[in-house]
Parts: sequence; C-alpha cells; structure tokens
Amino acid sequence: MLGLTWLAGLLRRRTGRMAGETVGIAVAVLLLASLGTFFAASRASMTAQAVGSVPVDWQVQIRPGADPAKAAAVAAAAPGVSATLPVSYADTTGLSSRTAGTVRTTGAGKVLGLPPGFAATFPGEIRFLVGAHDGVLLAQQTAANLGAGVGDAVTIGRPGQSALTLRIDGIVDLPSADPMFQSIGAAPGSAAAAPPDNVVILPAATWDRAFSNAAAGTTSTQIYTQLSHDLPADPSAAFSQVIGGAKNLEASLAGGGLVGNNLAARLDGARADAIYAQMLFLFLGLPGVIIAALLAGVIASSGRDRRRREQSLLRLRGADPRRIVRLAAVEAAFAGIVGAAVGLVAAALVGRVAFGTSRFGATTTQAVVWSGVAAAFGLVISTVTIVVPAWRDTKTLTLRGAQSAVGSQLRQRPPVWARFYVDVICLAIGALIYWQAVRSGYQVVLAPEGVPTISVSYFTLLAPLLFWIGTALLMWRLGSLALRRGRGVMGTLTRPLAHRLSGVVAATMSRQRRSLSRGMVLMGLTASFAISVAIFNTTYASQSRVDARLTNGADVTVTTAAAAGLPGGTADAVRGLPGVAAAEPMQHRYAYVGNDLQDLYGVDAATIGQATSMSNAFFAGGNAAQTLGTLSSTPNGLLVSEETVHDFQLQPGDTVRLRLQFASDHAYHVVPFTYVGVAREFPTAPHDSFLVANARYVAQATGSSAVQTVLIRTVAAPPAVAASVRRLIGPASGATVNDIETQQTITLSALTDIDLAGLTRLELVFALALAVAASGLVLALGLVERRRTFAITTALGAKRRQLGGFVWSEAAFVALGGLVLGGLGGWWLAQVIVKILTGVFDPPPEHLSVPWAYLGALLVATILAILLAGAGMLRSARTSAAAVLRDL
Amino acid sequence: MREPLVRADGLGRSFGNGEGRVAAVTDVTFSVNSGDRIALVGPSGSGKSTLLQVVAGLDRPTSGSIGWPALGPRDDLRPGMVAIAFQDPSLLPPLTVLENVALPVILAGGSEGEAVATARDLLEIFEVATLAEHLPEELSGGQAQRASIARAFSGSPRLVLADEPTGQQDQETAARLVEAILTLGAIDDTTLLVATHDAAVADRLPARWTMRDGRLVTEALTCSA
Repeated sequence: MLGLTWLAGLLRRRTGRMAGETVGIAVAVLLLASLGTFFAASRASMTAQAVGSVPVDWQVQIRPGADPAKAAAVAAAAPGVSATLPVSYADTTGLSSRTAGTVRTTGAGKVLGLPPGFAATFPGEIRFLVGAHDGVLLAQQTAANLGAGVGDAVTIGRPGQSALTLRIDGIVDLPSADPMFQSIGAAPGSAAAAPPDNVVILPAATWDRAFSNAAAGTTSTQIYTQLSHDLPADPSAAFSQVIGGAKNLEASLAGGGLVGNNLAARLDGARADAIYAQMLFLFLGLPGVIIAALLAGVIASSGRDRRRREQSLLRLRGADPRRIVRLAAVEAAFAGIVGAAVGLVAAALVGRVAFGTSRFGATTTQAVVWSGVAAAFGLVISTVTIVVPAWRDTKTLTLRGAQSAVGSQLRQRPPVWARFYVDVICLAIGALIYWQAVRSGYQVVLAPEGVPTISVSYFTLLAPLLFWIGTALLMWRLGSLALRRGRGVMGTLTRPLAHRLSGVVAATMSRQRRSLSRGMVLMGLTASFAISVAIFNTTYASQSRVDARLTNGADVTVTTAAAAGLPGGTADAVRGLPGVAAAEPMQHRYAYVGNDLQDLYGVDAATIGQATSMSNAFFAGGNAAQTLGTLSSTPNGLLVSEETVHDFQLQPGDTVRLRLQFASDHAYHVVPFTYVGVAREFPTAPHDSFLVANARYVAQATGSSAVQTVLIRTVAAPPAVAASVRRLIGPASGATVNDIETQQTITLSALTDIDLAGLTRLELVFALALAVAASGLVLALGLVERRRTFAITTALGAKRRQLGGFVWSEAAFVALGGLVLGGLGGWWLAQVIVKILTGVFDPPPEHLSVPWAYLGALLVATILAILLAGAGMLRSARTSAAAVLRDL
Repeated sequence: MREPLVRADGLGRSFGNGEGRVAAVTDVTFSVNSGDRIALVGPSGSGKSTLLQVVAGLDRPTSGSIGWPALGPRDDLRPGMVAIAFQDPSLLPPLTVLENVALPVILAGGSEGEAVATARDLLEIFEVATLAEHLPEELSGGQAQRASIARAFSGSPRLVLADEPTGQQDQETAARLVEAILTLGAIDDTTLLVATHDAAVADRLPARWTMRDGRLVTEALTCSA
C-alpha cells in the first residue's frame, strides 16, 4: 500500500524524473528490439531468397548402367520431395542449318530431352521467346549462331550415327543454363565450367527415338527434383537439412545416382551471410544498445541526489533499509515495465517502417525470446540504476552525506582500471589482434563449400570490442587528467567564455571532473558510434556500387555469348551515340590452365580504363596503372588470379601455356603467355579464377578477333544510354545490353548481399538521436543536478553572462572533448570494422567513404542540442532560483 | 543624512492557489534606512525568511510593492548592494571556502587578487581562516555558516541580510560572531537586517521587528540605530 502511495507521489511530484527514466529505458528497449527485428527479418529473407531463386532444387545424375525409372521412383519417394521429372542429355557433334542459301555450322553441343510438363514444373528453366512451347526448340544463342528461326530445319550431328534433321518449332532462352549443364560429381576444375553454346531441346519421346542407339557415354539422364521447401528460417539449419536429405537420397539410390544439390549451394552462401548479419548486429547494433542503456542509466541516476535526500528523510522517519529499497524497487519496476512496454510498441512500429515487419523474430519462439530479452533489458537498466544505488546508500549514507558528492569525488582514489592502465592494455591487445588478423588476411566467417559447420573467428571480434572499451576508458582518463592537472590551461581556455571568472570556472570544472568526464565519455562514445556506423554504411553502399560496376563491367555493357562475337564495328558505332563518353571492346573467351577451364578476357590494357573504372583493389600490389602498364608493354602478358599463382607456383616472367580454341578448327591448342601480374577482380569477371591478356595477342593466336563485350562509360543516365544502344544493335544480334543502375538494384537484393538499407536507416536515425540526447540531455541533466549551485550563484549576484561562463565552459569541454576524441575513435573503429568484416564487402574497399553531409548534420544537431540545453538551463537558473533558494 | 534603502508598502507573498494557498507574508509596510541594525524576530514559519528573500530581490511579492530607492533597480542589487546569508549553509560545493568567499568580489568585477585578499581578511575575522582551502563538505555546520556570513560581507554590500546567522553556533561563538558582524557593519557602514530566534543576538541590535503569521507586528515604520 505504501508502495502505491509512494509511486503516486512520485508521479505527481517527480513527474519529470519519472518520465525521463521511462523514456530512457524505452529508447534502449526500442533499439534492442528493433535490432532483433532486423536480425530476424534478414535471416528469414535470406533463406526465403535462397529457396526462391533456385529453379531446380536437386539434379540427380543417374550412373551409367542404373535404371532411370527406378531411380526416379526412389527420388520421388524421398522425404520432402514434391516433384520429379527425368531429363535426358545427349552430345551432338555439331549443328547446321541452311538459311537463305547459306549453310551455317556450329561446334559441339547438347541435345536435351524434356518430358511433358517440364516447363510448368520448373518454370525457372525455360523462357519461351518465339514460336511453339513444345516440339523442337532451339536455344536463343544457338539460333543466333545458326541464323535459324522458327520453321527452319536444323541438322543435329549424332556421334556414331547419321545426322538427324528436324524442323524448328520455337526459340527459347535458358536462364539457368549453368546448373542445367553442370558436371555433377566431377572434381572441381576437371569439367567445363561454361554451359554449351549450342543447345537443342526435344520432346522426351523424340529424344528417345533419336538417341536410343547412341554410342555409350554420349547420353545421360538426370532426375530433376523439386522439394517442398518446408525448411527452417535459419539458413544454416536449412542448409544442414537439405544436405542431409540429399545424402539420404544418395544412400537410398545405393550408388545408382549422385545429387547435384543446387538448393544447398544457394543456402551455403546464405548461411555465411546470416553469420555476417549477426556480425553486423554485434558491431553496428550492440554499441548503440549499450550507449542507449548508458544514457538511460544517466537519466535515471540524475535524480540520485534528490532520491538520496528522500531516502535519508524516510530513514529519519523510521523506515528501515528494506522498506527504502522496496520503495526504490517500486520506482524501478514502474520505469522498467512502462519503459519496456513503450519501447516494444515503438519497436514494432519502427520495424514495420524500416524492415516491413513488426515481428521480433523469424519464428514465434524467437519473437517471444527477443521481446522478452528486450523487456528484461529495460528492467535490468532500471534495477541497476535505481535499486542498486538505493540499496548501497542504505548501508553507508547519512543525511549530510547525501547533500554533497564533490569531496567524495575528489577523495576517491583513481578507479582500479585507471591504476592498472586497463584502457591502454585494452587498446594494445586490440591493436595486436587487429594487426595479426589483417596481416594474415583472415576471414571472420569461414563457410567452406558443402561443409555444414561454419567457423567464426570470435577471437578476432575482440579487436573492436577491446578498442571500444579502451577508447571509452581512455577518453575518461584524458578528460579527468585534463581537468585535474590542466587547471591552469583550462582557466586560459575558458577565458573567452568566463572572462574574470575563468579561474573559478576552471576550479569548478576540476572538482566536477567525474561528472564532466562522464558526460564527455558518453558524448564521445555516441559520436564514435554515429561516425563509425555512418562511415561503415556509406562505405558499404559505395562498395555495392563498385560491385554493381564490377558485375556489369561499366555504366553500360553490351555482351554476347556467341563465339562469333558482336557485329564488327559495334564499339565504334556506340561511341557515336549521345551520352557515351567512351566505349572499349573486350574479348571473352575460355582457356584451359592445366585441366581448369577459366574465363579469359582480352583487352587493350592502355585504353580499357577509359570505359570503366580500374580500381587499385583489382590488382595485387594495389597499383592498377602499373599493372596494366606492364601488361600493355608485354604483348603476350597475362594477369592471373591469386589462386592460379598459388596452384601453379608462378613467378613473374614465367611462361604459362594456355589452351585456347582456334577459329580454324574449333579445337583447343596451346598458346604461350608470360605471367606479369595478379588480377583479383575485373569487370564482368567471375569472383574465383579468370585470366586477362592483350586482345591483340589473343586475336593473333586464335585467328579470331571477335569481341564479345563492349564496355561503355556514359555521361548521361545509364538506362537511357542502354536503351539507345539496344536500338542501335537491334534484337537480331542476340546481344544483351545492361546498365549499372538496374544491376545495382539486382546486386542489392541478391542472395549474397545483406540488405543493410533498413538497418542503415534505423542506425543513422538512432545515432543522430543518441548524439543529440547524449550532448543536450547529458549536459542538461548535469546542469539540473547542480540547480542548487546555480541558484546560489544567482543569489550571490551572478549575471546571466557570468552564469553562462560556467555553463558554456562545461558545455564546450564536454562537446569538444567528446566530438574530437569520439571522432578519432569513430574513424578508427570504422577502419577496424571494415577490415574485420571484409567478407561483407565485395570487393574490399580501398578507402573509407565518409558521409560528409550526414556528419555535418550530426555536428549541427549536436551543437544545437547543446545550445538549447545550455540556454534552457540558464533561463531556468535565473527564473527558478527563488524556488530553489526557499529550501535553503 | 540616512538614505532609505528599502521601502515596502502593503507587501505580501503567498504560495499556491485556491484552497492550498499559503500566505507567508501579508500586508507588510516598512522602510530600511542606511545604517539601520534590525533584528527580525518571530516564531518559525512566521515569514522571516520569505521576507528576507523578497528584500534581497530574490523573490517577488505577490501583492503590494517594494523598492530600493538608494540601491537601484532589482536587477542591480546583487552583487554589491545587497547580500544575503542563508539559514542553512549555502557554500558552493565545488569551490573551496576561500574561493566561495572571494566569488562575490569577482562577480562584482574585482580582480582575482583583490578578491582573494578580501576573502582572507574576512575568513580571519570570522575565524575560519585555517579552513580556507577546504571544501564546504569538510566543514562543520557552524564553520560553514561563518564562512557563508563572511561571503555575504565580501562584496562590500550596503545591505546585509542574515537569516539565523547563529543557528548552528554555540553560545560563545555566537557572541563573537555577532560582534564581528556589528564591527564590520560599523566599519563599512553596512546596514543589517538579521532574522533570528536568539534573544541574545536580537538584544545586540538596536531595533527589533517582530513577525507573526506573516505580519510585522511591532515594527516602527522607520527605524533608527
């Protein structure tokens, strides 16, 4: 009963304090719960994206000699399988077609036999372009190679049999050609990585008739299998389930088939991304939560002196310590419960706006746990900041002791961490771990392909954690040191603000060093958080543009997969289009390095940089100009991937014998190159292994100067230029035209990229809010704590300007110290986080991208908050002096 | 020629509204002239402290009027013209005793050296010189009170208002304290208005005003030393 009376009294008489405590806790809970929403949303969306983007979950390769029908039955009966269809593959020695009196032939290719209903069951596999949806279908690229259309005849060369001539019923696109023609069960690098250029699709019955007597080893069958997709939301768990299912099927087939696990391959990437999402939460979110908690603590503890006096009076009136603690617990429970409730409701709203969901978890259990943890966090803050000090005070405090804390601040020995230099030790160990990690070129998340377990280097995470702790403690040490030892300097520095009072102001600040240092550290931590988050996010966004540029190759790219390449003079024609700054042709061939088939790009090294960005990060040694210069000056020069250098133990100047397809006989022949450098990334190149050579040398060696790609730099909007390029080359060329803006949209929503947009919005807004709160609120609360001091100073005759000397000097110390130290700390933390989370970036950034506009807004908001807090306090000190003084 | 320093006419100060309204001072009319030495006596809660705060210009009356004919407008009263020593010690916690006492001089535009010299003299007079470098919380209640009174005199004000200056002193110290106050007042020609319960203190002052239930019941309209 007394508890309720006490609470009612607090709500009536201490409304500001109660509101402040509640709002502080609500903000901390809001941030934690919102991060939970991001966490859940990102994980669930990664699994959903992974599952949704796979056209065929499993391709079961039937072993020679095994019965396809029996294998299909086994696959259909496997747990979780929703559909199975057999797909037949046959080799063709080549295709030919006669159109307009000319016979065109192609190299070797594949003939597929598809059962009825295939396109409906696996809609991502075939896109119908022209003509019928069944019958004899020709792949778009093949049609371009043959110059054939619907109604024309195509002749299919059959190994060991006579050629077969059929009439073309339709032209199709094969968007998932890579997995469709993958080599299941082959050792990596031992089979062709690129899908065939020439593909004919036949109805299953026609295929059976055509290849019933095919030579051994020239045909095969795969069972295309679709799963029910009833998978766990967590990508790692989904990956394990899918891998387990595939192994189970292989065991059931008893050696009769091998599973090409396309779904697991996609989930493999997603689970690494899920861990990175976790890392992002740890690095970018948790510091914000801690700062919000610290702020809530500061708000709650700002009423501590008054609370102490109230408790002392309660004690004088006979309340025993247990009752006093119980009353404090009532206040804490109210602030904690109401704050948590408000925070959770606000988080649901923020989640809806930022992430499109109000759930705090991917599953109901997760949602309950997250909201429970967030609410408990609020209660812990209120308990730690209200109940614990009250309990401690009941053991030590007297009424007189409650009235002053200055002397106790001064008499106290430096804290244990300061005496043992924990700050310096943290920074040194953090630097050591960071240096070690960067030197060894490690990855914080290691998810080896196909292996269910993911290795996370938690030890390395200690580096930013120790930096964070060390920076906070060092800021405290420096702040205290400046105020304790630098009183003279402080007096000089505050003279412009405090004039004749500068000595007194410096003395006051020196003796208030604990609370001022606390304010400065909070300000610094918030600035550091805001700056590191903003820099990280901007760098991430900037790298996504680089990634899009890398994937697309340039602002606008024209590509064709045809061996014959783009029509001659395409690059010259494109150069004449409006909005085009430069256009550079690039060959795209395939070459064998030993048994490994790799992409080979033939360029003019001297001019390629005119059409696209050649970043230093693309090349080992970090000097794009030098590397391309070396390539240009070495006619048969070759840039290879680091993996190739490692595999073949190459030294600069070594001869590398590649096998390239010659135009004369379509066969692969050895061509000698000279290894001159390492390329890590290259426009349009795959992430793993590829080669870069001089186009002139490749053309000379292979007898073909065909160009498969034109890279275009634009001075107008890329989509507009892309449209005019499409009009220029026409649909008959078979070439595709892509622009960087469209590509960036695809990149940002692709499976392997964590969508930071929601988290970025949330964090940047919070960082700004926390910075404003930490600067304005902390300063205001610090000043409110000393309302009595200001009232007395006013009573002694201090004018507004003189009171301002005190207020603005303290504000300047907190703001300048916090912003400068926090700025340095934030920049350094951003550096560390970007390095440690290198795996999130693709490619790794060469330097940090600084969001000057945001940082400017942050600075202005912080200064405004400080000015408002200071001016408000000055006004209140003058007007409320009489009320305060009545208590004296 | 004795100037009128303070003149109040029908002055009242109340707090709160409606039924909860409390009248701390009601319809008080008086005048304080330069050189006056007045003891303001009355039971606790009779309105002495409130009246001192209104006279010091820290608080505004809710009825009637008050003026400081020879001291200037309210905003210019402090520092320099009027100083007040509060009932409870009111030294600024982050400043030493010396800095506390020197502060009014600096606020009034004096140099730091001048302020410190004045403060040391006053601490000597009020017997707290040995505590000059101590922080307020290291002082006893009596010591802090003497330092507060020293501070009230440090800006050489023309009117010093003291609220129960001997409330935390023993009898012997209280007597010396009153003596010091009167001596300083005489030297600087400082006008004194001292609220007190202590009859011994009141007896040392030539004029006595009595307050009861917010009203001034035995005051002379003008009072002479």
